[in-house]
Amino acid sequence: MRNVIPTRPVAISEHGALDQTAFWRRVHGLRAALASQPAQRVALVCEDSGWFAAGMLALAQTGRICVVPQAPQAGSITASGAHVGAVLTDRPGEFTEFTTLAIGDAPPAGDATASLPDDDVCIECYTSGSSGMPKCVLKAFGQLRREVAALEQQWGEQLGDALVLGTIPHYHLYGTLVRVLWPLLAGRTFVTHTCVQAAELRRWAAQHRCVIVSSPAFLQRIAAPAELPPAAQVAAVFSSGAPLADPFAERLQRDWGHAPIEIYGSTETGGVAWRVWSGSAERPYWRLLPGVQTELREEPAGMRLWVKSGFTWQSGWMATGDLARRHDDGRLVLLGRADDVVKLEDKRVSLSEMRTRLMAHAWVENVRLLLLAGPRRSIGAVVILNAAGRRQLAANGKLPTSRELRNWLRRSYEPVLLPRKWRFPEALPDNDMGKIEHANLQQLFARRA
Amino acid sequence: MNNLIEELKQLIITSLDLEDVTPADIDPQAPLFGDGLGLDSIDALELGVAVQKKYHVKLDASSADTRQHFHSVANLAKFIESQRST
Repeated sequence: MRNVIPTRPVAISEHGALDQTAFWRRVHGLRAALASQPAQRVALVCEDSGWFAAGMLALAQTGRICVVPQAPQAGSITASGAHVGAVLTDRPGEFTEFTTLAIGDAPPAGDATASLPDDDVCIECYTSGSSGMPKCVLKAFGQLRREVAALEQQWGEQLGDALVLGTIPHYHLYGTLVRVLWPLLAGRTFVTHTCVQAAELRRWAAQHRCVIVSSPAFLQRIAAPAELPPAAQVAAVFSSGAPLADPFAERLQRDWGHAPIEIYGSTETGGVAWRVWSGSAERPYWRLLPGVQTELREEPAGMRLWVKSGFTWQSGWMATGDLARRHDDGRLVLLGRADDVVKLEDKRVSLSEMRTRLMAHAWVENVRLLLLAGPRRSIGAVVILNAAGRRQLAANGKLPTSRELRNWLRRSYEPVLLPRKWRFPEALPDNDMGKIEHANLQQLFARRA
Repeated sequence: MNNLIEELKQLIITSLDLEDVTPADIDPQAPLFGDGLGLDSIDALELGVAVQKKYHVKLDASSADTRQHFHSVANLAKFIESQRST
């Protein structure tokens, strides 16, 4: 990617533009301020994405480990178990229990030369592990840079000089990469704050052609595509974090004229593959991102997808959490989580298959199934009832409702495999990426309901 | 006998970790397995262990009667009573 200074501003906010010179002087100023700071591990917590980018580069350039907590709160730094020596932040008042470096205080310094960090310095980020404990993932700057290059190769031309806006926070690695580093390295301008309302997208798009970096959490909550900016003003929409449900992808394409580009990947592997709505028959097929190799390895549950690219966390082949098969033309078909198949009392059962059966019941709107530990391992069912189901629940109570669903499943399954615990919340607990977290589901079973 | 029936209902709920089920939900005459309470074969094993431990009765696994004894709470109570009196 270019090392010359592009002419467009690095970032823009309601208060004005941050041009290249001002941005790099910020980075140099922060480097100077960090020189007197002994901490090797520094948490980076910024509200403003422009400062976040400057902070990340300054930390990386001074050989520090840039720790990006899962959420921008002091509690999140503590909970992650990341032992940090200091916090670099634009909100110093909120991190009083830490040594703080107030980011706005560093006077801009140095010349405006764009110098990028070495490829081997680390960004430490956190992702929700399957155990429910935050899992630490180390990313070298080179891995991020190579992933950005792959994105630019695939979509650079389509994006042109579009303004980059996002509904996902920049502290998620996907946000860091797509909303901040990609525009920074490719010379596009990004908006410095996370847009939480569709109206904000419309306001920016009224003045600029734009790229919207989003997730199912946002896209699936848009009541009508008319709330989004006019399609002609949008160069592309990216969605990641979880699969976008088919009806939403179809509706956006039909009623708005733009299907989001969905990216499949994880914090550990980086981006792996992508798809765009082009009819339901094409829906299962994912194309690999440039530079990504895949392999399928046999396991008791099925063929697990392994990935190798310049942007995986570990070098060499890395296991994903998913089962997959390869279509004749090389595209991938994802077949669900490898941990979807569980063994209960020596019998194997696929949770996604059981979920499909439950979804077919007239009272059911949505379902998540999970394996519960305990003296007797069993399946827990989190069921979102539809209007008819909720009426039943209100009229007859929980036991008759769960019994009905159990008996429904009993037509297809042996009794020992049936869910033993049932929860009927109003909505599934999803996080701000629209992902239903395993830990949040587990929590529903922590006490009796 | 009624006390025993109530005690057994409670034993079933606690030893099998049944959620949402109260003693009142268990009909003493209704089958414990299949359509009724919906217990499964692992529950049967665990309930057998719990009953033997609590009431010091002996279950002969090979006995064709065992199935009958565990058919319902009422049958189970009758069985325990008969063992106690011998």
